Amino acid sequence: MTVVARGLRWGGRGIRGGGSRVRRRGVGILTAIRAVMVKELRGRMRGRRAFVVLTVYLVLLGLFSFGVYQLVKQNALNAATINFGQPIPMDRGEGFVGGGFPGGSGTGQVGLSATIGHALFSGLILLETLLVLVLAPAFTTGAISLEREKQTLELLVTTPLSTLGMVIGKLFSALVYVFLLILASIPFVSIVFPFGGVGPEDLVRAYVVLFALAFGMGALGLMVSAIVRRTQTATVLTFVLVLLLTLGSAGVHAFWLAGSRAPATLSANGQQLQPAKAGEAPEALLWFNAFVSAADLICTTAPTGYDPTCQYLSTVTRKPYFGPTFGQGFGECPPNARCGFEQGIQICGADECKAVPLPAGVNRGVDLPAPAPATHAPAPATEGGGGAVVAEDGSQPFPGNGGVALPPVAADVAPEQPVQVATFGYPRDTFWPSSTLAFLVAGILLTILSAQLVAPTRRLRLPRIQLRRRQVAFGAGVGAAERVEPIAIDGVSAKSNDQPTTESPA
Amino acid sequence: MTAVLEVQGLVKRYGSTVAVGGIDLTVEAGEIFGLVGPNGAGKTTTLKMLATLLVPSSGDATIAGASIRRDPDAVRRVIGYMPDSFGVYDDMRVWEYLDFFARCYGLPAARRRQMIGDLLDLVDLSEKRDAMVQALSRGMQQRLCLAHALVHDPLVLLLDEPASGLDPRARVELRELLRELRALGKTIVISSHILPELEELCTAVAIIDRGKVLASGRVADIERRLRQGAVMRVRVVGDDGASETAAAFYRQQPEVASVERLPDGLLELGMRGDDETAAGLLARTIAAGHRVAAFGRAASDLEELFLQVTAPDPWPAVTDTVETMAHSAVEG
Repeated sequence: MTVVARGLRWGGRGIRGGGSRVRRRGVGILTAIRAVMVKELRGRMRGRRAFVVLTVYLVLLGLFSFGVYQLVKQNALNAATINFGQPIPMDRGEGFVGGGFPGGSGTGQVGLSATIGHALFSGLILLETLLVLVLAPAFTTGAISLEREKQTLELLVTTPLSTLGMVIGKLFSALVYVFLLILASIPFVSIVFPFGGVGPEDLVRAYVVLFALAFGMGALGLMVSAIVRRTQTATVLTFVLVLLLTLGSAGVHAFWLAGSRAPATLSANGQQLQPAKAGEAPEALLWFNAFVSAADLICTTAPTGYDPTCQYLSTVTRKPYFGPTFGQGFGECPPNARCGFEQGIQICGADECKAVPLPAGVNRGVDLPAPAPATHAPAPATEGGGGAVVAEDGSQPFPGNGGVALPPVAADVAPEQPVQVATFGYPRDTFWPSSTLAFLVAGILLTILSAQLVAPTRRLRLPRIQLRRRQVAFGAGVGAAERVEPIAIDGVSAKSNDQPTTESPA
Repeated sequence: MTAVLEVQGLVKRYGSTVAVGGIDLTVEAGEIFGLVGPNGAGKTTTLKMLATLLVPSSGDATIAGASIRRDPDAVRRVIGYMPDSFGVYDDMRVWEYLDFFARCYGLPAARRRQMIGDLLDLVDLSEKRDAMVQALSRGMQQRLCLAHALVHDPLVLLLDEPASGLDPRARVELRELLRELRALGKTIVISSHILPELEELCTAVAIIDRGKVLASGRVADIERRLRQGAVMRVRVVGDDGASETAAAFYRQQPEVASVERLPDGLLELGMRGDDETAAGLLARTIAAGHRVAAFGRAASDLEELFLQVTAPDPWPAVTDTVETMAHSAVEG
């Protein structure tokens, strides 16, 4: 220690020997995050590559949105032609081409505008979900294994850099680029606003989901990268996991649902004694399926109040997601019946269900911000729906709109209380907050786990065990120049491979 | 002198394989300490344990008073480690490389800037400051890696085979650099599988084989301890007859165990005794009227000692000379 006190200096070289002071602590997490991020981003953003990728991405996104727009417009025009026998005049003052939200209500072209907006939004959200699902793990899956392969990890581990900070720095620097791609798409996605049907708050929700997804998936790639030695294997394994989380979870959920479904009990003459019971599968199974979250967002913005995604979501969450169809009113379940939704049909179960019919005159529309998605009559979806912005007369008994600006937590609770159901219409937004939270929690856990896996000397260990191990004076009898056969030690080592704690002093 | 590095019974096992089987070392402050041994002897494993990259199976080591087991972060602050094979980051300039590692040690920005300039001067890479790291030559990368190990002004440098893959000129430069660092007060632990490479540089060495320290101390001391003799090369001026007479003369000398005639008037003597004996022998050679042009240790001397010490079986017949040496050692 006297050597330390002497403070070895860089004689005459101008470097003060402050570094030779023995500081007991490692380098803090924030310093570590910053150090690694600066290093990573310097590498990633150097040259034109990053910007070329960004440009190409935006061009593709633009082409995609234009394609969706054309497709939906054509479909809608065709549908309108079939339904009404005449094409919709495109050049009317309040038409959708001129942009702006048309003022008329109940006319076909109004719904068309919102439909296009919704379709654009749906397409872009799905595309971006897919993009994040692929890119976020792709950027992180080499983060640690590449350092191992290039033999740079050892250099890092011998510094007092906090491994957690290092891992977070790696994750963030990869995510920064993904976030940049996401944010760069905002101008494109904003194209949906003039069409109506989608509000800024819907967009904000979508981005919250995407960010959480990027974080969770990035952390997944990171952890695989920390476990697996080779980058190639890590990449394959990561994408297998991503596939399992999306396609796999949806498949398992569907099978579970089918398996738990109880068919209707019929009497001998075909009379229904017990109604069919909807299948039940845990919603949590799909929390890590980013596409279900996207579907929730898409359902929320559906201009007709009904969308195939809503149907799926109501099956998943077992909560009513859209207005009653096929004449089965919400209040029609017998007392002491449990309500469930399946395939868009309300199913009445055996338990109690305090179904409260919506009081007439309830108008939730006025609570919404100005460019709110249209609310609609509970007409069947096939009609294309009416396109009123806000039902001014309040005569629509079942405003099936999902633009309810409920905070995530409240949205979780709301459907449990029938009174609220009645007051605010059918609450949507019940799935994505859980999913987002799940991604965030999983991301944090995976990040901490990866920090543990970076290096064997960087794991959290119990200090007591280490103290006990010190007394194993092994080399005591081993002289300098004498030749000792390794077998002498083998006897001990053979039984205690990687668990030196269990060994007895030789 | 104070011991900066103390190793007590360090053991590392992988399953039933013993990589390091109980090593004890003491390195004084300001020393250049060489770890010598053949490939697979456990040098790298030992250095990795000291650099807190591996957890020892048992035993411990303290560097500047900090235990590598209990206080690895304190150890990391006082050591600079340069691995055997190291990679460099792509997409990085020389100064950024050093800047990154300085950040890893939490150095403030002002000191980083100054330190990078000083270090690049020290390792002679100032002109390459803005060059990309992967574009540097092997020798330059080696020097850069050494510079990276110095960013936090460590007490102890752990260098694993720093000279491997370098051309002779780069080796000389590296040696100069290490001397300079020693002058700056660093303690340097260096590993190599070539003993002569370390002979000039190191103040002390430990010869390691199969995870054991076979000998340690100053190179000259080890030599003296391990054998009571040396291989001397004598060059006699004159024709064949002259060297034949000289050979006959040496065969009669009591301290000469063996004589071998090489072409060009060279004689190789297996000799017992220390330098004193050698001096006496030379004096008598000259007194006997032999015209000696050169008298000295065989150049491969140290290498043979190394081979002898680290041989797979006790006393193998690697070459005739070694066999002779072995016999003389046993007899002595």
